[in-house]
Amino acid sequence: MPETTFMGVPRSRIPWAPTIDYQKCDFCMECDEFCPHRVFERRDGDVKLVVANPDNCVVFCRACAKTCGPDAISFPDKPSTVALIKKLRSEEDEG
Amino acid sequence: MSYLVLACTGLDKAEGSVAREVAIRLAEEAGAAIICPVALNRIPARYKKALAENRLVVVDGCATGCAGKLAAAAGAKPALRVLVSDVVKQAGSVLPPDLRLGPDALDLAREIADEIAARQAAAPGPQPAVAQKPGPVAFAPPADFVVVVHDKYEFRIPVTGFFFNANDIWVQVAGSRARVGISDYMQQRLTDITYVDPPEIGATIEQFDDICTVESTKAAFEVVSPVSGRVVLVNEALEDAPEAINEDPYDSWIAELELSAWEEDRTLLVDGPAYAAEVERKAAED
Repeated sequence: MPETTFMGVPRSRIPWAPTIDYQKCDFCMECDEFCPHRVFERRDGDVKLVVANPDNCVVFCRACAKTCGPDAISFPDKPSTVALIKKLRSEEDEG
Repeated sequence: MSYLVLACTGLDKAEGSVAREVAIRLAEEAGAAIICPVALNRIPARYKKALAENRLVVVDGCATGCAGKLAAAAGAKPALRVLVSDVVKQAGSVLPPDLRLGPDALDLAREIADEIAARQAAAPGPQPAVAQKPGPVAFAPPADFVVVVHDKYEFRIPVTGFFFNANDIWVQVAGSRARVGISDYMQQRLTDITYVDPPEIGATIEQFDDICTVESTKAAFEVVSPVSGRVVLVNEALEDAPEAINEDPYDSWIAELELSAWEEDRTLLVDGPAYAAEVERKAAED
C-alpha cells in the first residue's frame, strides 16, 4: 500500500495524534467509542487504552479530546504543526 | 414617510387604547406610517423593507410591552419608546377603564402624540430600525464538476471557484469574503447529517482551527477551517435542515468569514482537479 500523505507530506512525518495523560485517564473509553479511525486500542492490564495507530489520526482533528471528561487527552500545538508541514512541503519541492 | 409607529392594539386596557389613538394621530397629523402589531406578528416579512429603511417609534399601553417585544422579535430597535401607563403615573392621574376613550383620555393621547411628533421632527436622519447587514456578496454556484467514480459511489468536485483543505472542507472566495462547507466526498462518508453546531458570529478563526462540529448518523466530524478570518454569517437554514449538506454540499455553506490572510492560506489548499486526485486516492484507501 502506498504511504498515506497529508497536504502532500508523508503522514508518518507529521506528529499529530492524541496523547493520553494516564494520571487523569479513568478508562471510560468515550474517546475510543467516538473515534472512527481506530487510533486507540484497548488492552488488558493496568493501562486499558493506548494510542496504537497515531498515523490514523486526522491531522488537526481534536474531537476525541472534547469527549474526554477528565481532560486527559492533549494534542500537539497547532501553529507549530502547520509550520512543520510548510517546512516539509518546501523540502519536498526542493527534493 | 417620516417614521414608523408600532403601537398596542388597544383592546386589552384603556392605556392601550390611548396608545392606539396616539398611533392614529401620528399617522393623520405627522405623516407616520402605522405598523399593525397583529400583522407584524403574523407576517413579519410585510414590514421588513420599511423597518430596514425607517426610524421606528413604539407606543405601548402597559408594562406588558407587547409592541416593544414585537419590535424586538422583528430585530428592530426603536428610536423612541413611550409607555402610556408611565405617562399617566407621572402625571399623577388615573385613566378610566373604558376601552372607548372619553375626552380626558383623548386629550392625553393628543398630548403624547404632539410630544412624539415634536421629538421626531427634531430627530436626525433616518436611523433605520433594523441595522443593515453588509451587502450580499455574490457566490456563484459551481459551473462544472469533475466526477470521481469509486465502486457504487460518485463524488462530485467543482472544477473551478472552490479550494479544498486536506480535511475535505471547501472554501469559495468572493472579494474579501469566503464561505466554507463540506465536500461531496466527506458528506457521503459521513452519511445522513443530523446536526450542525454553528460557530459564533464574530469568532476569530485561524486556518486549521475547528470552525464547528457536524454530526451524522455515523460519526461526529470536526470542520477544520481552510481559511483564517472572522465569522460574519452562519447558514441558519442548516439549523432546521442539516440534511441539505447531503443534498447539495456545495450550496450548503456552513459559515461565511471575512478573510484575514487569504493569500497565505491559499498556499496550503488545493484546487478542484488536485482535490479530485486526492479523493481518488482516499476512496481507494477506504
